[in-house]
Amino acid sequence: MAKWGMVIDLEKCVGCQACTIACGMENTRLPGEHWQDVIFFQEGEYPNTEIKWFPRPCMHCENPSCVAVCPVRATYKSEDGQVLIDWERCIGCKYCMIACPYGVRFYTEEKARYGGPNMKDVFPSNDAHSWNPPWRMPQEDWKHGVGVQPHDVVSKCTFCYHRVSKAPKGTVDLDPQNPATREFTPACVVTCPTGARFFGDLANPDSEVNKQIAYKNGVRLLDHLGNKPQVYYLTGEGGSVPATRSIKKI
Amino acid sequence: MIANNRNNDISSHVRSEANAWLVACIIVGGLSGAYMLYQLMTVGHASFNTSSDGINWGLPIAAYVFFALTSSGLTMIASLATVFGFEQFYPIVKRCIWVAIVTLVAGFSVLAFELGHPFRMLWAMPTGMQVMSPMFWMGVFYLIDLVLLIIKFYLIVQEDWHSSFSRLIGIAGFVAVILASGMLGLLFGSVAMRPMWFGSFTSIYYMLTAALSGAAAIVVTTYMAFDFDSRNMPANLRAFAEGDQMPKVFATLIGITLVMILTRMWTGLWSNLDGLEGFHVLVKSPLFWVELLFGLVLPFWMMLQPGMQTRVVPQMTAAFLVLGGMAINRYEFIVSGQVVPMFKGTWVNSLEPYFPSMTEWAMAVFGLAVALGGYAIGEKMFRLSAAPAHEESGKLAGASA
Repeated sequence: MAKWGMVIDLEKCVGCQACTIACGMENTRLPGEHWQDVIFFQEGEYPNTEIKWFPRPCMHCENPSCVAVCPVRATYKSEDGQVLIDWERCIGCKYCMIACPYGVRFYTEEKARYGGPNMKDVFPSNDAHSWNPPWRMPQEDWKHGVGVQPHDVVSKCTFCYHRVSKAPKGTVDLDPQNPATREFTPACVVTCPTGARFFGDLANPDSEVNKQIAYKNGVRLLDHLGNKPQVYYLTGEGGSVPATRSIKKI
Repeated sequence: MIANNRNNDISSHVRSEANAWLVACIIVGGLSGAYMLYQLMTVGHASFNTSSDGINWGLPIAAYVFFALTSSGLTMIASLATVFGFEQFYPIVKRCIWVAIVTLVAGFSVLAFELGHPFRMLWAMPTGMQVMSPMFWMGVFYLIDLVLLIIKFYLIVQEDWHSSFSRLIGIAGFVAVILASGMLGLLFGSVAMRPMWFGSFTSIYYMLTAALSGAAAIVVTTYMAFDFDSRNMPANLRAFAEGDQMPKVFATLIGITLVMILTRMWTGLWSNLDGLEGFHVLVKSPLFWVELLFGLVLPFWMMLQPGMQTRVVPQMTAAFLVLGGMAINRYEFIVSGQVVPMFKGTWVNSLEPYFPSMTEWAMAVFGLAVALGGYAIGEKMFRLSAAPAHEESGKLAGASA
């Protein structure tokens, strides 16, 4: 079994948010419902301040607290290491949102996140979907939380399950530069203009992700909480991983 | 004979009062329920002011916790007589158990409307068997608790107070309610990423404050049944109400709660653990000081005064204040634990603002109407002041002598 993981090199990340846009387009997200977000924040006190940014997808933890708390097993860990939500089981209790230390989960039924028109009113649904966007993704797989979501469930990044799960068995690296694996690679990795993202099998010692983690001392976000994320950050001299969540936002 | 006539007068008076309460609750519950349902059907859960960016659980969850813990507390107070043998508490046992049933039903009602898919839970929980989830166990133990309460109430209606089976149900109910309130505490206490809730303390805090809510609820509902006048009560209940047993239990429970709030606050305010900033928000909130000073300190002082312990008005006032204080307590506990947001992207503030929407308020009012309406049905139909025959005859004999 593969254990899919992601490496994000903060020395290469320029904070362009192309990953956020690509994820939104790929997964038909509502405006502002960023499964893959880039958090901008400020460090230091004026005049010694620095603006920083920090890309944050779902961590697809090895030991996910969201899976343990779900009273109905709607959120679960797949055989290949993704944390997914079965939209046909989810009761919308939001306990997983409470238990996720990374704030990556979204409840379907909420007020519009931006001041503009509510896209759910602009494109109302006439079936079980919570809305009916004209640019919807072709895939629909509610058992794995893929597609336009139904009413009153929780949604989140799937590591582009609909792409990754179609990769030939035994694939170690999903490299967007390789024509053979590009179409199976998560959208945010494909679109990253600086090649700051790597995606591959953490269980294989020869994978590119493992090499990157070893060469540049990969670290994990809020590791002390014990969730053991499968997303690693490379800091080097170009970036840092916030040690706390109470970073000052701008 | 005279005593019997007096009891009949009281019963008819109680029934007519209960009718008025029931009508009021049907009107209030009907209006708030209709508004809530209209909002849920037209706007859906977007009519809540909760959001993925910060406060995920708002007033409806606080209302659920308030009702569920009040129910647990009432069962604990009933257990003083049915499990631990304090026979002087028998005159309030039947009412305790009935009000425990209706408050639990009120809590479940509010929770059902808060959930996205409540009916899905009926098959998804047993087929999932996620034993790692505190919410799963909370559901299991509260369901067991409700079933045992109904059985116990049925036995009492059949005048079976003391049989070994009845006693066994009482003991099982007490164990279930300790586990249920403990699991509700664990639901919050297990999440390490929410440090304002995290720790084994939360379960203990919930169990003990449940007892306080229950004690306040039984004082209020007992007096409500008799026009807030102990002279209207049957002799055994009147003797109990004018004694100092209940106020002493009440004062002890308030004192324990005050100590727990104090220890929780000084840890929270001193520590610089990431996420505990909510405690600083809490002490700046007027609502918190209303809860502390008027909901706990004032009734604590009142219930320690020998001159006030045995009088109806101070007992009633203290009980109302404590119930209000505990309602605020559940709300600020739930909300302050979420004011420091998780990592949530560019548009999130350092601390999350939250005020319940009209729909959320309507849900809380609906829950209250269900609880009070259910209570009125109990007064109307089940003679809630009944006690075991030897208790009633003994106390009546004592009173007439």
